[in-house]
Amino acid sequence: MENGLEKKYIELNMGPQHPSTHGVLRLKLLLDGETVKHVEPVIGYLHRNAEKICELDYYCDSLIYFDRMDYVAAMNMEIGYLEAAEKLLAIEPTERVKWIRVVMAELGRIASHLVWAGAFGLDLGMLTPFFYFFEEREKILNIFTEVSGSRQETNYMSIGGVYQDFNDKIIYKIREFLKQFPKKLEEAYSLFVKNDIFISRTKGIGILEPEVALSYGVTGPMLRASGVPYDVRKDAPYLVYDKLNFDIPISKGKDVLSRFIVRFEEMRQSVKIVQQALDKIPDGPYFNPKAKKSLMIRLRGEGDVYARTESPKGEFGVHLIGDGTVKPYRVHVRSPSFKNLSILPYLSRDVLIADMVAISGSIDLVFGEVDR
Amino acid sequence: MNLLTRIADIFGFLGHFPAYAIAYIVETLIVIIFGTVAVAGMVYLFRKYMARVQIRIGPNRVGKFGLLQVMADGLKLFQKESIMPSGRDDLAYKVAPVMVFIGLMMGFVFIPYGPLAWFGSLTVTHSDVSLVILFALIAIMPIGEILSGIASNNKYAMLGALRGVAKDISFEVPMMLSILSVVVMASANVTNPLDLNGIIQAQSIPFIILEPLGFIIFFISMIARASQSPFDMGESDSELVTGNTTEYSGLRFGMFYLGLFGTIFLGSMIVSIMYLGGYNGPEVGYLGFVWLLIKTMILVVITLTVWLSMPRVRIDKFVNFGWKILLPLSFIQLIAAGFLTLGGIA
Amino acid sequence: MSYEVREEAGKDGRKILRIPKENLLELMKDLKGQGYDHLALITAVDYRDRIELVYHLERSSTNFEILTVKTDVNDSTVDSVTSLWESANWDEREQYDMMGLVFRGHPDLKRILLPEGWVGYPLRKDYDLSKTQYVNMDDEGNDRVSFDPGDGW
Repeated sequence: MENGLEKKYIELNMGPQHPSTHGVLRLKLLLDGETVKHVEPVIGYLHRNAEKICELDYYCDSLIYFDRMDYVAAMNMEIGYLEAAEKLLAIEPTERVKWIRVVMAELGRIASHLVWAGAFGLDLGMLTPFFYFFEEREKILNIFTEVSGSRQETNYMSIGGVYQDFNDKIIYKIREFLKQFPKKLEEAYSLFVKNDIFISRTKGIGILEPEVALSYGVTGPMLRASGVPYDVRKDAPYLVYDKLNFDIPISKGKDVLSRFIVRFEEMRQSVKIVQQALDKIPDGPYFNPKAKKSLMIRLRGEGDVYARTESPKGEFGVHLIGDGTVKPYRVHVRSPSFKNLSILPYLSRDVLIADMVAISGSIDLVFGEVDR
Repeated sequence: MNLLTRIADIFGFLGHFPAYAIAYIVETLIVIIFGTVAVAGMVYLFRKYMARVQIRIGPNRVGKFGLLQVMADGLKLFQKESIMPSGRDDLAYKVAPVMVFIGLMMGFVFIPYGPLAWFGSLTVTHSDVSLVILFALIAIMPIGEILSGIASNNKYAMLGALRGVAKDISFEVPMMLSILSVVVMASANVTNPLDLNGIIQAQSIPFIILEPLGFIIFFISMIARASQSPFDMGESDSELVTGNTTEYSGLRFGMFYLGLFGTIFLGSMIVSIMYLGGYNGPEVGYLGFVWLLIKTMILVVITLTVWLSMPRVRIDKFVNFGWKILLPLSFIQLIAAGFLTLGGIA
Repeated sequence: MSYEVREEAGKDGRKILRIPKENLLELMKDLKGQGYDHLALITAVDYRDRIELVYHLERSSTNFEILTVKTDVNDSTVDSVTSLWESANWDEREQYDMMGLVFRGHPDLKRILLPEGWVGYPLRKDYDLSKTQYVNMDDEGNDRVSFDPGDGW
């Protein structure tokens, strides 16, 4: 510097225990006053190496490790694994199971987005909406409890089927939830978007160009908010998504606000999907007889498959390799949060700390999934 | 007949001067106790209100309706070990919370509480410049906050203190200008416009009607002074952990906590004195204090509602807001006050 | 084309390209030119005698259809594709971490999920699972790994 003073940056270590890091993210920041010069995410604090554990287990046992990846949307994780496992083991789920899974996946998506929206509000200093969202989420978790017996780590599905068939009580509960949910959602939505401070905190912050997003491997609502309409449910339909009528919301805004709006629109679409699916569920068995419980640990698979599903965070891919034994030879998980997090250093160059928190909040990080 | 003379009468056998000296001390103690109880009550109210807003129940275990929860929390803070960071600036670190607490309590002493029933006027000091003294005293509190940030040897605290300074300067100037316009208005009717009592007496029409703009500026400034959401950039828990209080625990943290809620209460009280007519109301001589409390509580509830429903403003936007919007507006307000006074409306 | 590509069909109908390691970067450049702008993930499979490196590419212009590229690595070094896709950065770090593959030309190749100093590469088939490693943090905030149980939390 001209006056003989050396310019020094502040090094700040944010996390792994910090209110806004959504788990155990650690950020090494280099600050010039309030401006972030460089961010280095340090991850791995929740690493359990589920991929290795899966190699040591039977095909049917691996499911629970997927529950614990994206622990706020366990249903979607199960579907992700089962899509791959069923392809590898050549066991087709029955028609009824496919519809049931769609209902559960979309409820899980709503639950996940609700958690995100609440946590995002907290990142921006809004405490109250968090409780509104969790109230609604709790209703979904009640439905999960009804079908599977547990709230969060459901372990509901199994190879070729589900643990328990839908009964009238479950369907009634879901319908009751859907009846009141849209109104509550709009109410909570207006709490955000009608607030000038919220708009000023999010609009034009963290602009992510579509080319950059694709290059970084960003998927899910992050990518759609940048204007790329990539959704596995439409582009490579699995289960029965090709028989359902829904839209993929995209936004041209590319900023934090449009990520917020896209996620809310997705919740509305999910409500639509669940309603349609509930009307269309066909009768039939709720598991494939080829994969009944006594045969489960004798399932053998050979070959190599890669199955993509759309988890609430983005493209969730499972690469599964079997060598003809009862255990998988190699499991690799493409976790969307992991890829989405890699964009953080790019997005938070020369922004204020407050904006960096907003950006990292808008990514929707779940550390069970980033670290696996 | 006011409370001070009544207390002095009790000690009258000691002679005039010692009696009044003791009376001052006793009443100051009463006011400090009142301040502490009021703040504790406000914490309880806030927690209940917040719970109601957020579809929760709130404290309901300790005592009836959880009324003793605040006391239990206070006791807990008393008992807790104060964990202090190594490499701190020891004196500054220890003095900072005390400064916040003392600044707050001294503010309470200079408030004109107004008369209440048999006790008469509860006001402690009668100074011709109590307005100036009051604002000088509550200006001590931010110094404590800044000191705590610098002394803690913690980067979060440091950044929090820097933000606090930026925030404080950007709203203090508009706030002082809006006070000035209140003084200008009051000077038309009373001879002692720098006395808070004089300002209250000048408000046969509350100043909120004559100077709505000034009220808004002053109220925003008071919310910012209390550094609570949406202006809690200094403490911003999702960014800087808790800003300048990051390294404080135990009783020292309790003082900061009391300072936060106390400032909300004191600030609302000052706003109601400056713009809502203070203890003015029907049956002033008998219920003055009650009117002041009612007005204060209305403002407190508004403040808490703002707190609960707003996200945090970014610091640079707030500084812009302070210098580019509040400051010009407060100048306009000052000029308008001058015209109103000249025109004889006030 | 100066290189030889073997085309296979995967079990789930995916197109799989098999390429010698030397020509990997060349092929990837061509594929990037053909519009494969999204590198979904990089996986490696340990077959004991060799490590198979798997790339899943997607093309945004054709509904994100998927293409798999496989290559065999014998000496655990391979060319990095970070110059083509930014997402390869973290993926290659993960494979370095888990499989011990060294990517030539990677800008910042270090462990990502495990602490620096971890012994062994967990996803290799010959990784010794019976040995527990303990992680602690030193005064500078860096992770320290040891086999001593007293050192862990």
